[in-house]
Amino acid sequence: MHLTLVGLSHKTAPVEIREKLTFPENRQEHALSILTSSPAVAEAVIVSTCNRTEIYAVTTSGYDGPGAIIDFMADYHQLDRHELVRYLYISEGEAVVRHLFRVVASLDSMVLGEAQILGQVKDAYQYSLDGGGSQRIFNKLFRQSFEVGKRVRTETDIGENAVSISYAAVELAKKVFDNLDGRTILVLGAGKMSELTAKHLVANGVHNVLVANRTFERAVELAERFDGEAIPYEDLFTRLRETDILISSTAATHYVVTKDKVAPSLRGRRGEPLFMIDIAVPRDIDPACNDLDDVFLYDIDDLNGVVESNLEERMREAQRAEVIIEEEISSFERWIESMEVVPTVAAIRAQAEKIRQAELEKALKRLGGLSEKEIKTVEALTGSIVNKMLHEPTSRLKDAAAEKDGYEYVEAARHLYGLDEEHPKERTSLIRSLLGRPEKAPKTT
Amino acid sequence: MDKVLMEQISVVLFWFALVLYVGATVLYAYQFLLRKPVAAWWARFFTGAGFLAQTISIGANSVAQGGTPLTGPNQLMLAAWALVLLYFVIEHLIKLKVYGAFLIPIAVVLMIASRFLGPAGVQPPAPNPLLDSWRVGVHVALIIFANAGFAFGAISSALYLYQGTRLKKHKTNLITRRLPSLATLQTIARRAIGLSFPVYTIGLVLGIIRALETDISGWWADPRIMLSGLVWLVFGFYLLAVYRRGVSGKTASWIAIGGLFLVIVLAVLARTVPVGFHVFGLPPRE
Repeated sequence: MHLTLVGLSHKTAPVEIREKLTFPENRQEHALSILTSSPAVAEAVIVSTCNRTEIYAVTTSGYDGPGAIIDFMADYHQLDRHELVRYLYISEGEAVVRHLFRVVASLDSMVLGEAQILGQVKDAYQYSLDGGGSQRIFNKLFRQSFEVGKRVRTETDIGENAVSISYAAVELAKKVFDNLDGRTILVLGAGKMSELTAKHLVANGVHNVLVANRTFERAVELAERFDGEAIPYEDLFTRLRETDILISSTAATHYVVTKDKVAPSLRGRRGEPLFMIDIAVPRDIDPACNDLDDVFLYDIDDLNGVVESNLEERMREAQRAEVIIEEEISSFERWIESMEVVPTVAAIRAQAEKIRQAELEKALKRLGGLSEKEIKTVEALTGSIVNKMLHEPTSRLKDAAAEKDGYEYVEAARHLYGLDEEHPKERTSLIRSLLGRPEKAPKTT
Repeated sequence: MDKVLMEQISVVLFWFALVLYVGATVLYAYQFLLRKPVAAWWARFFTGAGFLAQTISIGANSVAQGGTPLTGPNQLMLAAWALVLLYFVIEHLIKLKVYGAFLIPIAVVLMIASRFLGPAGVQPPAPNPLLDSWRVGVHVALIIFANAGFAFGAISSALYLYQGTRLKKHKTNLITRRLPSLATLQTIARRAIGLSFPVYTIGLVLGIIRALETDISGWWADPRIMLSGLVWLVFGFYLLAVYRRGVSGKTASWIAIGGLFLVIVLAVLARTVPVGFHVFGLPPRE
């Protein structure tokens, strides 16, 4: 059995190709049933989002797993196989585990650290689970991947800092006010950008929206969209007293909001901060306003600076996420190793029992004429010797298998007991086949 | 129980508490910087265990001394104890763990100072019999708790200033990302000082009543009493400035920090200046 991944993403394929290869929710069950009906595929999960389509599979030994998956993709979407292959990436073994963990940790996303992908992979796994496409190996792998996603989000700041201008404004507003519930924003100018920023702020709890514009009708129009209040332009500085956040985006060619006009509005605010966002170019708000106590002014360049610094921060956090991923890969390997030890212990016991039975039979023939009670005593004696001889090594083997590189012990035990000698070609280490570890070169003497 | 044994228990548990608080400081710092939930849990556990050890230490010392000494190094130790208790209450109320990274180190400093600023090897003078009143005990307890509250408010104000300055300069870093919002820092500072002020006032009033009862001439000229009055004035002005005058968050924060500075001066004065400066600390004159 092998872990196999065939897929494409925003990194390898343009949207014209990605949109042709999607597996929408309502077709996932059908697609999975076709895919898993192939003798080459034992388990499968299809992850399909706007930025990626990936098929994760446990493929059966003796078949061309990646080939079967590519055929399925081409046939299902009626695409030319040779054309399709140009955009695909194929991974096998441990690389599949690493890729999946990086995907759920949002390290492979278009926007590093975005939160949606974890939910999307969870949905994909659930479809597969419901349809019987996910079994023992994928149940473990995908559930562990969700833990990876959760760990990365809680133990790093990868998703913490906004990486778009409007979200950066919201994030900064939260740094000033914490909770935006009940806060009042004043939108100055009815431009698209200020509308978008206001929309984000409203989505985050702001519910008092004041709109001021030189053309009052446009102010009314925008205010209606937010269930807010249009105010006459000349009342701007009076209403600034009750404002927590000012968003300005007018077409004026000079400063509309100046320090001397803002200063009187700050009186009586009891130290309540005033957060100003100037997204107009040329700027609407005099930068000197930032010198006033309790005023925090950000223009478009400042917001861009915040976004860039946040992106850099996310890159740094991604390195911490990679460490978590490596830990989780080791943990998954240990699980596979522990899976291998159970059949190995059973095989050792079976072999010992076979030897015991054969030797017992020979001994009984030689002794002859033993009573029923004596035979039972000899049987119990041999059984007890075998059990006691095997107890310590098998329990130690079980413990060792759970350790890092424990499969070495399992391999050694199989070698020492000669478990694979009857059909050596049929048996390949599970960890080697699933994770694509190379076979060790035979020792020469 | 044997007095010597109780003293030994008190000393051992003091150092035990100190080690636990130092451990909690490291863990809170680790949690603050790297946001490890496990570290937060252990930090809380260490703080709780340290608090328990410190409480038993104070209790054992009180048994050994036949009462809780309210002068000398013990006052700083009680201040550390009050600060940790206050931190627990506030953390429970506001669910903010970041304060642990700033307040527990202060408790550690207070505890260390209580050992090293005290008159080492010198037995404190016998307490003045004038101190033998319930009012004095309540007076000291209230002042200690109020000071812990003022420290909380001032630390919050200092964090407000840091956060505000970084936001004004449009520069964020790991610390600003970890700190609560300006509004939260401001609210906590105001509430901590707002709640501590009446406690401090009652503490002072009880002290004044006791002073009037004992009829010592010139009690009001005691520098510690005068400085306490100044602390009261500064924090009173803070509340007036914030709630009546509506001063800026920056100005209010500086006032709070100034108030804490006076509290520290008062504490240092009490440790370093001869006892006679606080007339009630004097042993009875021959």
